[in-house]
Amino acid sequence: MANITKVFSDIDLTFTRKPAGGDIALSYDSQAVIRSVRNLIQTNHYERLFNPDLGSSISSLLFENISPLTGAILEREIQNVIENYEPRAKVSSVVATPDYDHNGYNVAITFFIQNLTSPTTISVILQRNR
Amino acid sequence: MAANSSVQFTELDFDNIKTNLKTFLQSQDTLKDYNYEGSALSVLLDVLAYNTQYQAFYLNQVANEMFLDSALQRSSVVSHAKLLNYTPKSAIAPAATVNVTVNQVSDSSLTLPAYTNFLSESVDGTNYNFLTVTDTTVNVVANTATFNNVTIKEGTYATSTFTVDKSTNPKYTFQIPNANVDTTTIQVKVQQSLSNTSYVVYNLASNYLTLGPTDNVYFLQEGLTGYYEIYFGDGILGSQLTDGNVVKVSYLVTNGSAAAGANSFVLMDSISGYSNTITNSITYASHGGDKESIDSIKYQAPKSFSAQNRAVTKNDYITLIQQNKLGINFDAVNVWGGEENNPPVYGQVFVCLKPSGSYTLTQTQKKLIVDQVIKPVSVLTVTPTIVDPDYTYIQLTVNVYYDPALTTLTSAQIQTGVSGAISNFAKSSLNTFNSNFNAYDLLSAVQKYDTSIITSEYTMQLQKKFYPILTNTETYNLYYNTPLERGILLSGVNSSPAMQFRDPSNLSNILEGVYLQEVPTTTSGISSISVTNPGFNYKATPIVTILGDGTGASAHAVIVNGSISSIVVDNPGSGYTSAIVNITNASNDTIGSGGAASVTLTGQIGTIETYYYSSAGVKTILNSNAGTIDYTNGIITLNNFGPYNIDNPLGQLTVSVKPTTSIISSTYDGIITVDPFDSNAIIVNVIAKKSR
Repeated sequence: MANITKVFSDIDLTFTRKPAGGDIALSYDSQAVIRSVRNLIQTNHYERLFNPDLGSSISSLLFENISPLTGAILEREIQNVIENYEPRAKVSSVVATPDYDHNGYNVAITFFIQNLTSPTTISVILQRNR
Repeated sequence: MAANSSVQFTELDFDNIKTNLKTFLQSQDTLKDYNYEGSALSVLLDVLAYNTQYQAFYLNQVANEMFLDSALQRSSVVSHAKLLNYTPKSAIAPAATVNVTVNQVSDSSLTLPAYTNFLSESVDGTNYNFLTVTDTTVNVVANTATFNNVTIKEGTYATSTFTVDKSTNPKYTFQIPNANVDTTTIQVKVQQSLSNTSYVVYNLASNYLTLGPTDNVYFLQEGLTGYYEIYFGDGILGSQLTDGNVVKVSYLVTNGSAAAGANSFVLMDSISGYSNTITNSITYASHGGDKESIDSIKYQAPKSFSAQNRAVTKNDYITLIQQNKLGINFDAVNVWGGEENNPPVYGQVFVCLKPSGSYTLTQTQKKLIVDQVIKPVSVLTVTPTIVDPDYTYIQLTVNVYYDPALTTLTSAQIQTGVSGAISNFAKSSLNTFNSNFNAYDLLSAVQKYDTSIITSEYTMQLQKKFYPILTNTETYNLYYNTPLERGILLSGVNSSPAMQFRDPSNLSNILEGVYLQEVPTTTSGISSISVTNPGFNYKATPIVTILGDGTGASAHAVIVNGSISSIVVDNPGSGYTSAIVNITNASNDTIGSGGAASVTLTGQIGTIETYYYSSAGVKTILNSNAGTIDYTNGIITLNNFGPYNIDNPLGQLTVSVKPTTSIISSTYDGIITVDPFDSNAIIVNVIAKKSR
């Protein structure tokens, strides 16, 4: 049987161990891209050394009043950071729906990963966390 | 995993280090996402690259500080200098000399104690405190005590007291808690204990070879914090302190060169209760200096090391004199062997010194330099001789054309600014031995002052300043060391200020307003006679006769082995436009023949005369042959010159001439300078002109 070639491979920031061998766990292909997108969204400006532009201002936006307007800004932020720093993901839509009861937004990010035909969707609930 | 060949270690920049790590990861396929900024791998690469850069930067800094050439921190430079046995120079207090007269004294003798306070006149808006540094006692004559030539130094007196405790200070190192201490004024006394106040004076250690366990010496160094520290012997090199000793360090805290130039002082304290005092200044405050800079330490320390505290080569002398511990700072030092003099003087070393803030050293200071700085370390048979610099002053008149449309500055501002630019130029490129003045550099400095300056031109006079002796006549030689311009219609030589002479026809009559001038003639005397045929068989020196349209020329021949070897001009005469030489045999010589010579009229020698305006306003010549001017060699000689008085408080006479070249060079003992005390040294005329 031929080896399956992995196009993308990255370490997992949770630093868990593989059950077999105890080596550090890796994430591959779509999983790696999804991890990368998550990392970018969760990074604030000035967090990365010598690269202050990288990241988004999502954590500060979550402290704004919940409104469809803030939601729209949130969508734009997420889309920008992915377009600028993750060339493997072609964003098709970002939808941030205010969840007034939980002081947060339900965000659905849909994007196409290179080499894959079907779209990938990440659904996350963004809540402020202090 | 990857081959290590793709790792590079030479980069110090964050981005390059990260690129190197990425290049390294290219050679493996386990982790491929290193190129994507969002990947977890990229975060790890950032941390690794940052850590590498941090370490590399730190190591680079450490490596820099490890060498005298590249160190930036003062503490590192001082520490490297310490290995070369070099202690950086502290700030040096400017010193002045005063005479103090105390009236209505009823005692038989009076002491002017050390650390008596004087207040100076204002220098740049500040009055500085000056102090005596030693006790002086004089006998009182007719109820008046006169203290002559008292040295006072700028600063405030301070004392630091330390109690010796080996448990807290095992190295017996004591820091002087003031950055501006003048270390040449430090006095160290070690008291037995707090209760037993008998004390011993400790001196600064100088020669470590002869140091024994009982020598009462202290050592001086600059500490890591920039403050000076004194420390004591270990019982082998210098005597050791014991617990309970009290170290008392007294010193002056000075403002360095800031007070230089102060010339008027007021005594602030009463002397033993007497306050009817008069203070006259003899010399103004000079020789002060600021704490040695990092650059200067880097420059001086290796030279001090190479001199090894011995004066053998020229540079040894220069280094030793620059680093003297007498508290005298020098702007320029030049040293040459007497064999280079004309005529040569063998067995002597000539040292020419330009002190900071003044023109010459006093006789006492020269003796101190010879006896305490040079003699102890120089070669036995070589005699050091200190000569004063020979100053040639440049007086400049600069015409500046500027376009008012191109600047917001007024013409007065341009005038002041250009004048400042010229004096900065003079300070930085002249004022030292073996320097050159040239027109291009001067006009560039003027042009750079403001973009609105279209063009500029200058005229220059060279000046010699000297103090003629008024009591009797003397011969003075003024060496300009450059060819001088001959006056054609007007005199190229002038003098200032006005002099007074006794009227030769009536010695009790004083003539006012006497000046020097050159006789503006187009012809002159005989410059030289060259032998065209030496002849033969001369038994006696033949007679040389000069024939021509002038008068007064005479010469004699020099005979070697019956032939004329040369003809020496005794008197150049004057008024010649053409001349020939006749050589006739002496009366007792009948066989000598064949000698011939030709005359060179170069107009080399001119005449200096003195003139004044009579009461009727008629220009009158006082002495038509007051001296000579040698145009080629640039020498003015004043023969039997004895003015009655000179209209200048200092009695200084200035003689100005015009040079033929625009490049003026100074030599061994020559310094070219623009006199900062002369308000007419730089004259700037500003003329408005449209540039197009």
